[in-house]
Amino acid sequence: MKEGSVYDEGFNDDDDDDSILLEFESGSDIEYDDTGLLRRDPGLASLSDEESGKGGNNGYYLDGATISSRNVVIPKDELYENDGVPKLSYRCLTTDQIYELMLERLERIQPIFDISYEDIIVLLQQYAWSEERLLEDWTENRDNVIVSCGLKLGHEPVASRGIRKHANFLCHICCEANKMKTFTLECGHEYCLECYQHYIKDKLLEGKIITCMSCPLALKNKDIDAIMGDNSSQKLMRSSIKGFIQKHSNHYKWCPFVDCNCIIQVGNISTLSEFPRFHLSPYVVCDNQHRFCFKCGLESHSPGDCHVAELWVKMAQLESANLNWVLTNTKECPKCGVNIEKNGGCNHMTCKSCAYEFCWICEGCWAEHGGGYYECTRFKKEDKNGAVESKNAIRKYTFYYKLFSEHENSAKLDWSLGLTVEQKVKALQENIGISWIETQFLPESIRALIEGRTTLKWSFPVAFYSDPSHNLTKIFVDNQSLLVSAVEDLSQLLQVKEPQKIIDRKLEFFNKARFVRSRDKALVECGRDLLCKGICIPHQ
Amino acid sequence: MSLKRITKELNDLGRDPPTSCSAGPVGDDLYHWQASIMGPPDSPYAGGVFFLSIHFPTDYPFKPPKISFTTKIYHPNINANGNICLDILKDQWSPALTISKVLLSICSLLTDANPDDPLVPEIAHIYKTDRAKYEATAKEWTKKYAV
Repeated sequence: MKEGSVYDEGFNDDDDDDSILLEFESGSDIEYDDTGLLRRDPGLASLSDEESGKGGNNGYYLDGATISSRNVVIPKDELYENDGVPKLSYRCLTTDQIYELMLERLERIQPIFDISYEDIIVLLQQYAWSEERLLEDWTENRDNVIVSCGLKLGHEPVASRGIRKHANFLCHICCEANKMKTFTLECGHEYCLECYQHYIKDKLLEGKIITCMSCPLALKNKDIDAIMGDNSSQKLMRSSIKGFIQKHSNHYKWCPFVDCNCIIQVGNISTLSEFPRFHLSPYVVCDNQHRFCFKCGLESHSPGDCHVAELWVKMAQLESANLNWVLTNTKECPKCGVNIEKNGGCNHMTCKSCAYEFCWICEGCWAEHGGGYYECTRFKKEDKNGAVESKNAIRKYTFYYKLFSEHENSAKLDWSLGLTVEQKVKALQENIGISWIETQFLPESIRALIEGRTTLKWSFPVAFYSDPSHNLTKIFVDNQSLLVSAVEDLSQLLQVKEPQKIIDRKLEFFNKARFVRSRDKALVECGRDLLCKGICIPHQ
Repeated sequence: MSLKRITKELNDLGRDPPTSCSAGPVGDDLYHWQASIMGPPDSPYAGGVFFLSIHFPTDYPFKPPKISFTTKIYHPNINANGNICLDILKDQWSPALTISKVLLSICSLLTDANPDDPLVPEIAHIYKTDRAKYEATAKEWTKKYAV
């Protein structure tokens, strides 16, 4: 955990909120600097954080976090930005880190209990790692807790437990007669090792206490490891922590991106409810640079707020089963009609067959797209005048959905482009001999591109729900066009492969990425304006 | 492995059959059994004979057997398809349990229903609010389907 030291102290013993282990009190303990928190605000992302070298890998918010002293409650107004916008404090963890934190925690509470470390682990598992609840029950009726968790009371006679060797043992589970090795707890229920292994293997993923097959007596971690012959108990610990995270989803959320195992923990959950008022969403960034909304669990969906995103997704689910089928990945070249599959991020297509250059989105001639903005982001109502109203509504939706899904596909391709960047960075270091830090403009450009593309994608639902005749909507659409052109420019630049050419055009990368960032920011602010002023009204 | 265990259970059932229950394979397939339960005398199911079908999973006894009523029965924890809501058939299953023990548990479920964890909320509601009506309906169903 890169910034663990900053926060560890935040997990204090005075946490009486929800009787949840591993939770920091809302608003207490942590003091923020003024600028540190502005940087990762939804839509306010700018190049400056990376430039100042603070962009690190995680928890941008926490950059300025320092511990003042315990139990210092931040005055109410410090929980907000200058303009009253709520702030969110969070950090990114892995299950391993949560596990380590729990073990640390265990060390601290161990003196309270007069039982072994191993036994406390069993108790905590039974109590879903909620030590407050455990301590409460423990002080009330110690023996009861011990027995209900499947442990033996200290004064009971200690029978032998562990693996035993036999010449010819009949196991009552598998009914085989020639077993050599068995396992038994103090209860004396003895079964062959193979059956125990089979039994434990299934239970490891459930994350609950594993008991004797015949009675509630608990197997301890060392028993499990002895039976399995490896460190399987670690697997059980991890699954029990997964259960903990799912149970406390208001504090913890898994990153929704595929194959990402990051967990975001939010410190001041009371702030979450403040965001909708400002048409903002509580965005968090995991260690793998995945930006998502902590409230709805979707990817970053600005300029739309959670309401816009929710309605749009619902609508897409209802309407787009057919649309998706129609909008397959291939298109015919507008000139020669050959089928073209888009396999790169840029929308400036050149037909390999007839060399015709066209725009992937509108399928119009690319030359006409020059001059700063694109006709293709504009929805022309007057296109087919006289069309039936309802048909028009579907057409309008189809138009925006098509744009949305085009940019979604492009964003996916940009992700894969992003994966090649690492190789490019390596090539730059090896072939040109420049330092790692000097190559960082490349990943930064990719980030700008991906975030710009995501903003663009989610700007179409906002445009769809907005009053097209309003002047601000027109400005919004113009801003969309500007971002499209900025994103396409950058995307094209990122296709450059030769290391020398990349270095030669370094300044161009910088400028284009910066331009995307500023257009991105402008579009997000413009979209929020539409929502705040009631020009964009999400409806069913 | 499971076959040896199932065979042993079948032998044990033959040697020492539990009161009011019986079970055995339907045909040649040892993984598919049929069982019968006599309605407990102190319950509205008295006098009825209820049939159940039992399917053993291939990794039995590490996974619970699938048991369902084939005879219609009016009970808060048994639905129209004959599915039974019983903890030891789900997450409380243990490899040390046997078909004989499970059938006895089902017998006691017939005597003492668990209306706080119902599979059929309507029946559970009647069970809790109008016990006489529940008993009358259960008796009626027993007479109609299980005698």
